[in-house]
Amino acid sequence: MKKMKVDEVLNTNIWDVDSKPHIVVDYEKCRRLCNKKACVYLCPAGCYTLTGGEILFSYEGCVECGTCRVICPHEAITWNYPLSGRGVQYRYG
Amino acid sequence: MSYLSNTKFDVIIVGAGPAGSTAAYTLAKNGLRVVVLERGRTAGSKTLYGGRVYSKPLEEVYENFRKEAPIERWVKKERFSFMSNGELLTLEYSSTDSTSFTAYLSRLASWMAQKAEEAGAVIVTDIRVDDLYLEDGVVKGVRCGDEVLRSNVVVDAEGVNRLILERFGMVPKLEKRQVALGLKQVIRLDASKIEGRLGLAAGEGLAWLIVGEATGYLPGGSFLYTNSSTISLGLVVFLEEAYQNINQHVFNILEDLKQKQSIKEVIADGVVIEYGAHLTPEMGLGMSPKKMYGDGLLIVGDAAGLLLNLGYTIRGVDFAAYSGYLAAKTILKAHSMGSYNSESLSFYQKLLEESFIMKEMKKHKKITKLMRSNEMFTIYPGILLDTVKKLFEIEYSSPTILQALRNSIKGKTSLLKLLWNIFRTFF
Repeated sequence: MKKMKVDEVLNTNIWDVDSKPHIVVDYEKCRRLCNKKACVYLCPAGCYTLTGGEILFSYEGCVECGTCRVICPHEAITWNYPLSGRGVQYRYG
Repeated sequence: MSYLSNTKFDVIIVGAGPAGSTAAYTLAKNGLRVVVLERGRTAGSKTLYGGRVYSKPLEEVYENFRKEAPIERWVKKERFSFMSNGELLTLEYSSTDSTSFTAYLSRLASWMAQKAEEAGAVIVTDIRVDDLYLEDGVVKGVRCGDEVLRSNVVVDAEGVNRLILERFGMVPKLEKRQVALGLKQVIRLDASKIEGRLGLAAGEGLAWLIVGEATGYLPGGSFLYTNSSTISLGLVVFLEEAYQNINQHVFNILEDLKQKQSIKEVIADGVVIEYGAHLTPEMGLGMSPKKMYGDGLLIVGDAAGLLLNLGYTIRGVDFAAYSGYLAAKTILKAHSMGSYNSESLSFYQKLLEESFIMKEMKKHKKITKLMRSNEMFTIYPGILLDTVKKLFEIEYSSPTILQALRNSIKGKTSLLKLLWNIFRTFF
């Protein structure tokens, strides 16, 4: 099996993505307070990317694990589960 | 929703995972009015784990468990490997017997919810519980958005991310030292290929844990479990240590593992059909609330921090389900006495303490601490592989075991420290 990209692997899942994000990131805090930006490496779904040195978050591929909420040292993340069963739909889990 | 808010249930259970549904099943079977509120579209659609369940505690709770449950393969072969520089040192145990099986947790959770439903519990999906609902400081139900649902007692089976308990102030915010991050791919592969490549007889299962290079030398472990016609391949890293030391995307560590010869040949021609991640309690009882109960409240499963990782075995589902069972027993007793205050619900703590769950968690307290020592994952796999390499790859002269070990250790650690660490881990 050749090496896969995270988007490619996420696409094997079934999704019902909400139109509203269930996680909100305070970019101002990321910019002002955070050098480490560990969320970029540790979000298993690659939802946090660096663009021009700044964090960009997209909730669409979120697998609702909660890692970012736990590791963010600056409380920059307002985290909740999606409403109405939206988001990732595990068939195997 | 209006049906729900107009009905008073005896028990509201938050979350239809193994803990929640097992509590519901036990309560409904004994005639209580139970509703399970599940945020996912179906029971099991939001759960994820490594891949293996220890059976005995579930057999005690569910009749005909072995016959009816969605079991994939009974584990007959256990493998534990150290990996370093693509080389592998493996301990393999083959048994004629089996006490654990592989399964898809989504299907197992869905099966348990169905059992609860058949017993008379109401399972409501697509509903996110936001808060506990209190009257005079006593838990009397839950809030979902603007709606209040009332009950005599609430069982919190919300899982490892304890948003509800945190908001309630029962537990502090989850910390990275308390949890590990697990990620997993489910890879479709013909049963004959799985069995042929891993030396399994038809229908037999394998559980394989690998430390060292398999996690990019981060503290934690990688796992491979065989299902009927898929392989569950993933890794678990302790979040605190990963936070400090990771230098690449965690997803790539798993992709790198798939490229290692020993794994590559097992999963060749496989197709990834699902990818997910989940946090897991990893601190022994360090994540558990001091009291697993309150006035009108019981806490079960991952939310109660009940999971035991010994490095070579990981138990979560059986602990979760059994804690749900014990919570149900407590509620049945409280119901017969007509009191759901914290005093009568404290019986749950007593049952937990007396059960295998707390005994196991306490007995193995030391090893769960030692598992966090970095050397175990960073230096030792290399030393071991290097020693073995010296012993087996001979040109003219062969070293004694002690010479090989001494030479492999040189510059990395002292022999005394290594032996001491091994000694205190296992004895």
